[in-house]
Amino acid sequence: MIDQRHDTLDHTPRCGDGRAPDPLVPAGWLPMREYGEDEVDFVIVGTGAGGAPLAAKLAEQGFSVIAMDAGAFFRPLEDFASDEMHQRKLYWTDDRLVDGDNPLQLGANNSGKAVGGSTIHFAMVSLRFRPEHFASRSKLGYGVDWPIDWREMWRYYEEVERMLHISGPVRYPWGPKRPRYPLRVHPMNAGAQYLARGAKALGIDWTETPIATLSTPIGKAHPCVYRGFCVTGCSTNAKQSALVTWIPRAIRAGAEIRDLAMVGRIETDASGRATGVHYHRADAWHFQKARHVVAAGYAIETPRLLLNSANAAQPDGLANSSGLVGRNLMVQLNQAAWGEVDKEVRAYKGPPSLAISEHWNYTDAGKDYLGGWTYMSQGPLPAQWARTLARTRGLWGQALVDEMNRANHTVGLKMVGEVLPNEANRVTLADETDQYGLRIPRVTFSYSDNEKRMMRHAVAFMKQSLEATGARDTWDQMDDTCHLGGTARMGRNAATSVVDADGRSWDVPNLWVCDGSVFPTVGGVNPSLTIQALACRTADRIGALARRGEL
Amino acid sequence: MADRYPDYDVLAKWDSPSFNDKTREILHARMKLLPRSKHLGEARVATLARLVQRVTPQPEGRAPANTLALVIAKIDADAGDGFRPAGLPRVRAAWQCALDAINAEAREGHGAAFADISDAQADVLLKALSEGQLHGAAWGNLDARTFWSWRLIPDLVSAHWAHPSLWSAMGFGGPASPRGYLRQQAGYRDPWEAEWEHA
Amino acid sequence: MSTGTALARGIARLNDVARAPRGAERAASRLLSAGASVVASSVLVDSAMEHYRGSFRDPAMVLPIALSAGSLLLNGRETLAPAGPSTLARMVHVTAGAVGSAGLAFHAWNVGKQAGGFRLVNLFYRAPLGAPATLLLTGLIGTMAERLADPAAPRFAAFLRAPRVVGTVAAMGLAGTVAEAGLLHFRGAYHDPAMWLPVSLPPLATLSLLRDVLTLAPRRMTYGLLGATAAMGVIGMAFHAYGVARNMGGWRNWRQNLLAGPPLPAPPSFSGLAVAGIAALRLLKDMRRG
Repeated sequence: MIDQRHDTLDHTPRCGDGRAPDPLVPAGWLPMREYGEDEVDFVIVGTGAGGAPLAAKLAEQGFSVIAMDAGAFFRPLEDFASDEMHQRKLYWTDDRLVDGDNPLQLGANNSGKAVGGSTIHFAMVSLRFRPEHFASRSKLGYGVDWPIDWREMWRYYEEVERMLHISGPVRYPWGPKRPRYPLRVHPMNAGAQYLARGAKALGIDWTETPIATLSTPIGKAHPCVYRGFCVTGCSTNAKQSALVTWIPRAIRAGAEIRDLAMVGRIETDASGRATGVHYHRADAWHFQKARHVVAAGYAIETPRLLLNSANAAQPDGLANSSGLVGRNLMVQLNQAAWGEVDKEVRAYKGPPSLAISEHWNYTDAGKDYLGGWTYMSQGPLPAQWARTLARTRGLWGQALVDEMNRANHTVGLKMVGEVLPNEANRVTLADETDQYGLRIPRVTFSYSDNEKRMMRHAVAFMKQSLEATGARDTWDQMDDTCHLGGTARMGRNAATSVVDADGRSWDVPNLWVCDGSVFPTVGGVNPSLTIQALACRTADRIGALARRGEL
Repeated sequence: MADRYPDYDVLAKWDSPSFNDKTREILHARMKLLPRSKHLGEARVATLARLVQRVTPQPEGRAPANTLALVIAKIDADAGDGFRPAGLPRVRAAWQCALDAINAEAREGHGAAFADISDAQADVLLKALSEGQLHGAAWGNLDARTFWSWRLIPDLVSAHWAHPSLWSAMGFGGPASPRGYLRQQAGYRDPWEAEWEHA
Repeated sequence: MSTGTALARGIARLNDVARAPRGAERAASRLLSAGASVVASSVLVDSAMEHYRGSFRDPAMVLPIALSAGSLLLNGRETLAPAGPSTLARMVHVTAGAVGSAGLAFHAWNVGKQAGGFRLVNLFYRAPLGAPATLLLTGLIGTMAERLADPAAPRFAAFLRAPRVVGTVAAMGLAGTVAEAGLLHFRGAYHDPAMWLPVSLPPLATLSLLRDVLTLAPRRMTYGLLGATAAMGVIGMAFHAYGVARNMGGWRNWRQNLLAGPPLPAPPSFSGLAVAGIAALRLLKDMRRG
């Protein structure tokens, strides 16, 4: 079979026999320590923005660590094609149900299935939260406060920005002072130029987007060639995904990576402590013993795993005494405005979001809603663009073909907007089961009025920006969402949160969560940098607790 | 709308640094894929072929895309996208039911198979489908409009714009690795990109 | 350093064999022609590549190519087989200088009208200010060489023969080139330690040269620093070639990487200007003797 999901790679693990693929070298290998099924200090479920940094930093502290991922271990230089359809192999395409008033689009949109997780196909936008967004309840009067102070996060942001060689502007226009980004900005593509001109016309600040793709060669990684297939996987390794950064570092530090290992259930003993995980690999179920289990599967798989691990003592799911596992699912609004311009834009070139304005993330006045949003330039690829046109404007047949053929003159702006926590938006288990026999997740989501007001404001503003730069025939794309968060929220007490500030579960002391599901609120920026910063913090905290004998 | 890039062919870059081995391998396999199904049967394939023809027309004056073959491959593999609205069955079951239902609507409305009614009749039927106005018994529990926007459109459109002929027609740069692009600013193009021909 | 001194001495002696009556000035003239040739080749290749990147949107974009080519031919001839001053040479050098100046203004205007104006992203990636300035230097150095070739020749721009003027032009040229390398190596985040070299060695050479110009006393150290700067320009080209190879697709993807990677023709500008500085030292030395 062709294309759909049938690389042999999808079925045969590459990690084993004392080695793991070297993602930076064609046919290359890295020596890897293996632990067999002996009890290890940590088994981490998921190797994305949460699991990968945690694995690296725990292994560096001398812990024995196994990190499992349901997806394959790719070597981008030889495994990645310049092709939207083929690269579906990066996405979580297992069955999931969506419902609610505004059923979400998952898969390619926000869910990865590969070693490196969604960072393989993320758009590389690497932003810090606005400081007030760590305490939106006390500072801005909505949502809920994080149990972590922004100044502490600021330090971890810096650590991650260095690790990922973020390319960004020398002076960032918003928020408190931050250190200079490790690498300089990329040249702006046409879409970014239109954003800049529009922002100038509307009298607000803009800047080049801080972005996790190299603007100079670093080690074995090439600088960005502006091929534009970023969200289908970077074939040059310029993109600083977890796969090419944290994972090799984790392996060198002595962590074991198990690819194509789907964890189905966390086992607990009579005392309620986790004892290890049941996982499916190479057509069989296995059990891995561990002193600590970390769920790092992102905001759908993490609650699904906790719910699927229910037992007699914890019938509503592990770590769920608060009843909040799966609740407060947040996405981010991803509405857009599009228009046609005289000049050729050719939006397929370069990273899609090379310019940004955080104006409405830092400005609270003049809004009839709570929360912040940013907007960025956009660069959709053909099939994605065709789906957008068909879905949003109801085009099909010759009308769709004709509109597609105008794509090179189309320019667009897209928001990343804050969705407020709402217990009714949630992940539960459906009765249906997947290929492993595990109950599949049901993802329920509806916009609140607050979100509808925010998207109306954002789209009107972005349209104004486009029109200020001479765009004609502008139109709105009102139904898109992006990043996930919030289904195992962190907090200050067991009644109102699932984990504490360190990601440690209140109910099961050796069970941790380390991914976007711990976000109490999602803020108005892309979450990847914050997830990685939190993972670095969790690793440091685990080290500190271990030294104090509190692990 | 006339093809604005008549002299441009993405495939002319096949041996250039714009294509890497992996891309050549998967595109080669894709373009020679034939519309054969193990799971649909002749009548459903005929209905699907007509759907493809009306919803995703071939580009004029270019090698035809094998959209039908790609959609069949997806249905046969029952390959989902990682999400489906509650109530919509998995890929293959949904398509099997919908293809039967569309055919039944054509027979009921025009006394002929969907593959055999006129273009105008087919388009009217599809418009009704897209607007959720089809409720024939053959749909069973399947909501026609949900099927249209969550299954039919994404599957057809994704397969159609997976073919180099469609990329060429829209002036898309196509595969780009190891070579990407130099000139990114508005109004500029690299020599290996399509040149817009003013009408 | 000692290698640099030896190299500089070697360069200074190259033309001693063919010394014409007014020794030092003829020798300096020939060195300036050699320096101008190197700078002109750098401008020729760089402007051809960069204006190709700019798709020759403006017909004037061929001018620097034509003038640097002319300058290269004339200065090259003067280096290899001096034929003395000529009206044609004078015209080409002066026109190169004028086009360089106009180009500088045009590039500045072009950067200013970009989205974001004179912010770093445009200084990094849009029309570079350093490039037309280098053409201006080509014209200036060529004119100086032409003026010095026949000291008896009439008054036109006679001040350009003055050792202090030659030294100051070479020093300013080096300083400007350091600024350009500094900007572009900052763009590359100084990811390779060797990238610090062109912003540390040539400034020392420039300061040393300026001091010699002020004191009218050429020192061995200046010879050494200028010689080392000249060598660095050549080695820099090799570093840049390695940089091109580190881009995706390497040399196989040369159509992109020659333009996306570090510019091959840029570093030799340092060599050409350093040679012009050595010419100034010759004149200063002669002045002290005279």
